[in-house]
Amino acid sequence: MPIERVAIIGGGLCGWLAASMLARKVPDVQIIVLSAQGEERGLGIANGGEVLLPQDIETVAATGWRGGDLLKHCSASFVLGTAMSGWRGDGMPAFVPFGEIGAPLGPVPFHQLVAVARARGHAVNIANYALGALCAQSGRFAPPRGDDASVLATLAFGLTVDTGRLRDLLRADARRQGVTEAGMWTGGADREGTTITALHTAAGDGVDTDLIVDASGADSPLAGAFEGWAQWFPFDRAITALRPARSVPPLYTDLAALADGWQAFVPLAGGVAETVVSGSAQGPDVQSFRTGRQRRAWEGNLVRIGAAAAQHDPCAGLQLHLALADAARLVALFPANRDCRAEALEYDRQWRETSDCAFDYTALRLARNGAAGPVWDALRATDLPERTQYRHDLYAGTGRVVLHDGEVFETPGWVAQFEATGILPQRADALANALPTQAITAHLGKVREAMLAGLGRLPPHATLLAEMHA
Amino acid sequence: MTAQVERGPLRRVVIAGGGTAGWMAAAALSRLSGNGVTQIVLVESEEIGTVGVGEATIPPIKTFNAMLGIDEDEFVAATQGTFKLGIEFAGWGREGEAYLHPFGAYGADISGVKFHQIWLKLRAAGIPLPLDDFNMSATAARMGKFDRPGADPRSALSQLDYAYHFDAGLYAGFLRTYAEARGVVRHEGRIAHVRLDGESGHIAALHLDDDRVIEGDLFIDCTGFRALLIEGALGSAYEDWSHWLPCDRAVAVPCARGGPGAGPLLPYTRSTARSAGWQWRIPLQHRTGNGLVYSSRHMSEDDATATLLGNVDGEITGDPRPLRFVTGMRARPWVKNCVALGLASGFMEPLESTSIHLVQIGISKLLALLPDRSFPAHERDEYNRLTAIQWAQIRDFVILHYHANARGDSTFWRECATMPIPETLERKLALFRSTGRLFRYDDELFTDANWTAVMLGQGVMPQQHDPLADTLDQPQVRDMALRMTDAFRRTARAMPAHADFIAQHCAGRPI
Ligand SMILES: Cc1cc2nc3c(=O)[nH]c(=O)nc-3n(C[C@H](O)[C@H](O)[C@H](O)COP(=O)(O)OP(=O)(O)OC[C@H]3O[C@@H](n4cnc5c(N)ncnc54)[C@H](O)[C@@H]3O)c2cc1C
Repeated sequence: MPIERVAIIGGGLCGWLAASMLARKVPDVQIIVLSAQGEERGLGIANGGEVLLPQDIETVAATGWRGGDLLKHCSASFVLGTAMSGWRGDGMPAFVPFGEIGAPLGPVPFHQLVAVARARGHAVNIANYALGALCAQSGRFAPPRGDDASVLATLAFGLTVDTGRLRDLLRADARRQGVTEAGMWTGGADREGTTITALHTAAGDGVDTDLIVDASGADSPLAGAFEGWAQWFPFDRAITALRPARSVPPLYTDLAALADGWQAFVPLAGGVAETVVSGSAQGPDVQSFRTGRQRRAWEGNLVRIGAAAAQHDPCAGLQLHLALADAARLVALFPANRDCRAEALEYDRQWRETSDCAFDYTALRLARNGAAGPVWDALRATDLPERTQYRHDLYAGTGRVVLHDGEVFETPGWVAQFEATGILPQRADALANALPTQAITAHLGKVREAMLAGLGRLPPHATLLAEMHA
Repeated sequence: MTAQVERGPLRRVVIAGGGTAGWMAAAALSRLSGNGVTQIVLVESEEIGTVGVGEATIPPIKTFNAMLGIDEDEFVAATQGTFKLGIEFAGWGREGEAYLHPFGAYGADISGVKFHQIWLKLRAAGIPLPLDDFNMSATAARMGKFDRPGADPRSALSQLDYAYHFDAGLYAGFLRTYAEARGVVRHEGRIAHVRLDGESGHIAALHLDDDRVIEGDLFIDCTGFRALLIEGALGSAYEDWSHWLPCDRAVAVPCARGGPGAGPLLPYTRSTARSAGWQWRIPLQHRTGNGLVYSSRHMSEDDATATLLGNVDGEITGDPRPLRFVTGMRARPWVKNCVALGLASGFMEPLESTSIHLVQIGISKLLALLPDRSFPAHERDEYNRLTAIQWAQIRDFVILHYHANARGDSTFWRECATMPIPETLERKLALFRSTGRLFRYDDELFTDANWTAVMLGQGVMPQQHDPLADTLDQPQVRDMALRMTDAFRRTARAMPAHADFIAQHCAGRPI
């Protein structure tokens, strides 16, 4: 029997994201959105601003959403990476850019060249070899054109968005595509065996459904068996605020390690979203949260997406990315039939892969850095899951980056994070070691020159913004 | 700094064995000697000889040749090679039917909808079009044509992908010349003993039967099924996959090309199902390679030989050669300071001609994870982890051919159809059966196109297409599809015949 009706629980950004995407991609299915307690926490902690990574912008385009609308209606601003301070033992700040860093020399990856150069006494700051970092520093930027074969093509950019405005935009879009709303969900449901057949609403008339998408966050009454992550992600309080700002938004997000947590700034057009996450904050505007994930994301005819499936510590800024990936995966595996066991198994496999990779990235940032203070000392002393530790050891040994299916970041993203948290390879790769110093320094010089030349061709970011909003 | 001295780059890499695997490794590693420190040596014994039946390849071998800077025409001529556009599987789904598993993609995706889903949608709408018509290589293969793909990415010809058939003995010789010219030192002799270091358990030296001793830092075991180093000296266990891939014997025989009924020089391999296995036919310039791969539980050697000899299309020019193997892999192909490549590292049933490719990816992984003299455990672990993933993926793909059969004519085929299969393949099959969806895992060698060809070829038909395909406008899609097949057909017609192409560009010396 075909799937005819889909009920989405949660009218927050996460729910409307799924509603709009499904409506565009599987138009023959009737989609109903229900409001729910905690729906504003569908992505995780409720932030005023979130980041679309470079690969998310492709998902946005493939869905048929217009980038121009995001810029116009969601206070979107360009970002090229994250400035991280307080995460290294030596106190040095670092920049984690999107996109490429440097260029390989024959078969030898760039970061291995850097490791050899350093071992031979040359100080190298990798941020000087990433166009994104150079642009962010100097405030120059224009989105690369598709046909550009120069160094400018290595520039990858993300977009920040005002989450409330993006929700409104997607809601309007979904409603135009025929999605309807059914008011408030009470938390109750009718079941036949393990299948949910209807959801109860406050208005009294239940909503019949073939498939349920739970986008109502980690505290959903439909939550199942749970695996907690508190030992690696001990922070459970967040305070967020959205403030106006007049100046030209910086081309990067900012992430600072505090004595008992961290603080992030996400620039928006005309504002800045601020988040402080810690283990101790008190007060009326404090959101408390619990990190961890469900054993299964797709169970029977229930698909949990966003924080209803997994809640990571949001220090890596992946909340929107992960929810978008969940929605896109649901579209790619949208079941043709009510018997959807094959789809559920595959969905869970892919979801777990992605969630594992995001976990590793986040856990290495939080629990293997050089930040000062007893909270951080305790985290550094915690054993990591074997897979996560293996990634660390392989990089710390000889600078090898382990890549799995479902990786959020490729080699440069991992290298940049390791650098930013002060984890450096003990020795370089054997092929790199065989290179004469002169060949390496000459190559580094050439790369830097090309980057600077590219940078010189870019306009100041302020000019771009003025043109866009003219 | 003393620690640095202990670490330092490898001084000598010793390759044991000079078959296809040994000489591929020697050719690729010869670049290491560029650092002025590392020396590459290879030991082989002519008296023992090589297996030498690996004659069919897959497209990534072009990357290997390019990395070595080998000229294609020179290489094809030197190995009596021909071009391969895919494999024809005759009688695999059921007796009397055949399908092509071509290289390269089918059609083109439209608005994020995979092409095979569009094909399924058109089929469901009563517009059945032959799948082969959407693949450039298949279209050319059916016409017996070949040409090199064009550089213009918008042209139909650029969609063509290919590999080679070649004489394995000549290939090893060709790589030997290459490697020796780049400083690789060859020792002829029989390895009598492998000496281990008492303290570390690493291999210290190979002792030859004439008392020569060859010491080294890194040892590459390419001694074929003997696995003298990895198993003989280091005892790395073998994981047996014959419960999934039951063939364990082969008999091979060459025949002359152009016998009666042989037809033109085909640009593809043929694999024909027989009652307890399958027979290969590999066209080369100077001869045709033939062999029967079978299960000894279901067929005797005499029957196998008789079946093979009764089914070749040219005058037999050599004695039938029997071979034995157990499909499976070395659970840890890298142990201590020894990396096994080729048959020493495992045996993949040759159905999709992946063995030489497995040697190639072993080499590229080794280069990417090349250790220094301290041999950090992590590089070894990562090599073993990645190798296990890649082997298991290819294994699953090969099992699919056996499992999804509707022959039912013999115990062998009935057992294959009903045997339990790996869970990973089970899931892939379930998903494809339901909506034709395919997902590529971990940089898998085989793409959606490969899986589609074999799934559909073996008769695994999805119950319905992906609902995503319904977002496309049907008449528009049909017109696009028809334009595509038309372009492929016109392009193929304009291509030279395979034999003519070879005669013009890369004919080998008459033998
Ligand atoms: C039936 C069959 C069909 C195949 N078809 C294909 C195909 O179509 N495509 C494909 O890619 N692959 C195919 N293969 C696999 C392919 O043949 C092998 O992968 C390839 O030949 C590599 O073999 P090798 O070099 O590892 O071993 P071998 O060819 O066995 O070489 C072993 C080497 O070790 C040396 N040696 C052994 N012992 C000693 C000793 N004591 N002292 C000194 N030297 C020693 C030998 O002299 C020899 O040089 C097929 C295999 C079989 C069995």
